[in-house]
Amino acid sequence: MTDAAGGFDAALSGGPDAAFIRVDDVAKTYDTGRTTIEAISNVSFQTAKGQFVAILGPSGCGKSTLLMMCAGLEPVTSGTITIAGQPMTGPRTSIGVMFQDSTLLPWKSVLENILFPIRILRRPRSEYIDRARALIEMVGLAGFEDKRPHELSGGMRQRVAICRALIYDPDILLMDEPFSALDAITRDEMNDALLDIWQRYTKTALFVTHSIREAVLLADRVLVMTDRPSTIIEDVPIPFVRPRTNEIAETVEFVRICSHLRGLIQHGHGRGQDKPGVAAIFQGNKVEAAR
Amino acid sequence: MKTAPNIARVLGLPIATGITMCVVWHVAVTSGGVPQYLLPAPTEVARKLITSLPELLGHAAISGLEAVASFLLATALGFAGAVALVYAPLLREIFYPSIVGFQLIPKVALAPLFIVWLGTDSVSRIAFATFLSFFPVLISTMTGLQNADPNAVRLSRSLTASEWQTFVSVRIPFSLPYFFSATKVAATLAVTGIVVAEFITANAGLGFLILSSTPRMETLTIFAAILMLCFVGLLLYGAVSLLERAGRRWFKGA
Amino acid sequence: MSGTARKRLSRLLGARRVVAPLVFLLALFIVWETWLHYLPMSRAVIAPPSAIFATLVNGFPILMKHTLSTLIEIVQGFLLAAVVGIAIGALITISTWTRQAFYPNIVFFQLIPKVAVAPLFVLWLGVGTPSRVAFAVFMAFFAIAIATATGLENTKLETIRLCRSLTASHWQTFTKVRFPFAMPHIFAGLKVGMAMAMIGIIVGEFVTGQEGLGYVIMFASSAGESAPLYAALLLLAALGLALYSCVLLAELAVQRWYGAPFVSEGFA
Repeated sequence: MTDAAGGFDAALSGGPDAAFIRVDDVAKTYDTGRTTIEAISNVSFQTAKGQFVAILGPSGCGKSTLLMMCAGLEPVTSGTITIAGQPMTGPRTSIGVMFQDSTLLPWKSVLENILFPIRILRRPRSEYIDRARALIEMVGLAGFEDKRPHELSGGMRQRVAICRALIYDPDILLMDEPFSALDAITRDEMNDALLDIWQRYTKTALFVTHSIREAVLLADRVLVMTDRPSTIIEDVPIPFVRPRTNEIAETVEFVRICSHLRGLIQHGHGRGQDKPGVAAIFQGNKVEAAR
Repeated sequence: MKTAPNIARVLGLPIATGITMCVVWHVAVTSGGVPQYLLPAPTEVARKLITSLPELLGHAAISGLEAVASFLLATALGFAGAVALVYAPLLREIFYPSIVGFQLIPKVALAPLFIVWLGTDSVSRIAFATFLSFFPVLISTMTGLQNADPNAVRLSRSLTASEWQTFVSVRIPFSLPYFFSATKVAATLAVTGIVVAEFITANAGLGFLILSSTPRMETLTIFAAILMLCFVGLLLYGAVSLLERAGRRWFKGA
Repeated sequence: MSGTARKRLSRLLGARRVVAPLVFLLALFIVWETWLHYLPMSRAVIAPPSAIFATLVNGFPILMKHTLSTLIEIVQGFLLAAVVGIAIGALITISTWTRQAFYPNIVFFQLIPKVAVAPLFVLWLGVGTPSRVAFAVFMAFFAIAIATATGLENTKLETIRLCRSLTASHWQTFTKVRFPFAMPHIFAGLKVGMAMAMIGIIVGEFVTGQEGLGYVIMFASSAGESAPLYAALLLLAALGLALYSCVLLAELAVQRWYGAPFVSEGFA
């Protein structure tokens, strides 16, 4: 049935590139022993190749879990995820992942951290050194190649993490709130840097965030998730042309879209208070979840 | 994210492993692979434990009481010492480096010295065990008293609390987790201290029983005594852990 | 002497934290010596520092022989315990099952008074070096195994996920990420392990009574001669400091390779 539906949709939207990432009726439940908690229910969406899609929602709505399932790092309870025509069964090298934490290895220099995927994938290091240096140059870290992570600021560490995700040239970049641990000023800088990188290496991207501004600034489409139930409630296209700069944030259109999204989140957030929220598991609050 | 830990598995697996080890031990011995005088079968040890229970309990009571006395002395002295060193900078500067240096040398080596100084009765054994278990309590409690949340101390000062009030209502509560984790170490060390002292000089106690049975190759007695000592050690450790849990719960206000 | 150097020197001399403990130790020795000079006590109980020093000089060859024996046995015991402990710590973290099955048992062993088992080793392996070294390994490896297992479990979930997203094998994740991340814990375990190995050898020497500084201490205390006892204790203290410093130096070397102080992201 899924196959038939997939063929139909692909025919409608014109080829596999239009449905480069397909998420079909995906659900995720956790079994706590006494009760089952629904972390994600009935999520479906697809993104075209080269599109930058933001997944926006409040803390604990399951958006990170959704991203991890797309990365093949979490199994789905039901439904299917298909990427580039192949159903996801586990991690693959055509996907790069960025986390909230830079996850740099403290004993490796900036350059060695960026080359870490090359080591793991056993690719010839010599072929990638120039690329690594070019990436370092691009993110403005020239001269920091031999520094260790603890000598860098939080923003610099995330720049290194971006380079590390780009070094092996994956088709898809999955980003799990990569800038949420940074201060507001650094975060704006990182958004600019990411826009810039996007202009150069167009990848298909899923970007999880709880910042409305960040989502609208970066993405071509914003998928709004709520926590009760945890599902996508609206797919909002962002009309700004690229290349973008953060100046678009001052336009009336930007403000209008932001307030629309804010309304959606507040509306979704207030619904169905009696239903156990997923937030409860992440806070480890089993009592409340069971109630 | 994994499913919530299954209690049956968390408890069952290690117990099953323990039982399996005992079975392997039993089979190894009863099949004749290992001579009985080197390693008696677990069933034999259990039988010995039951038949000689009165004698074993007598020895255990001696060692246990001495260990408890040492533990209590060490925690009281350790806590008092920590308060003194934290509040008297000169004392701290004089003694702290020696104390830290002392931590690095093997203190069990001093056991014979205590016997030379204090004689061969229980006073010297208790003194040695107290000495052994005193240092962790002292050092941890000092760390705890000094590591009280600076903002809580500032809050207390801003309320014009006296030094004593700050001590009682801020520093002591913050040091309790450190103190309690040190008491668990002290509980183990107190038993260790008594056993080592009994190895050197004693005419009763489980350490004495173990060592005096060695030349006679009474392996069964040795095993039964070691088992008994494990009970004593775990009993003391368990009691301290329960106290610690109560203390932590109070600290968290739950 | 330049002005800044003088200032530095005076600051050094003025530093109570350096001077106070040294003055305390010096005063202790002076009081100790003069006290015994005017109010002699039993030689079996206490000897003046001068007598201890004389013993160290006159008995140097014999004391050295015993020191060397103790040193070699401690090093053997420690190294064996490190290898066995790290291997067992790594093995039990292979899967959730093995960890749940073995880890509590090892922690349980850590809680019981292990020194009590010393005579069993004599029974099994005799009164020579093998029995003492085996006992030291038994004393030391639990702490190292527990620390290794804790360290290996302690790598951040996100870092493990990064490796999985790169399709890294379990072996790659272990050697390139989890093991290096466990280093601080392993060294914490090695420090405890060194202390335990020393205790193992000394208690072993007490029990077997053949050679080593522990034997010297026992022999002197029962012979009613306290000067050799204190001399042996001094040597043992020096040995303890030296061995502990070796572990510390190794840790510093690894920290240098590690590039960061041992308290950074990845382990709380």
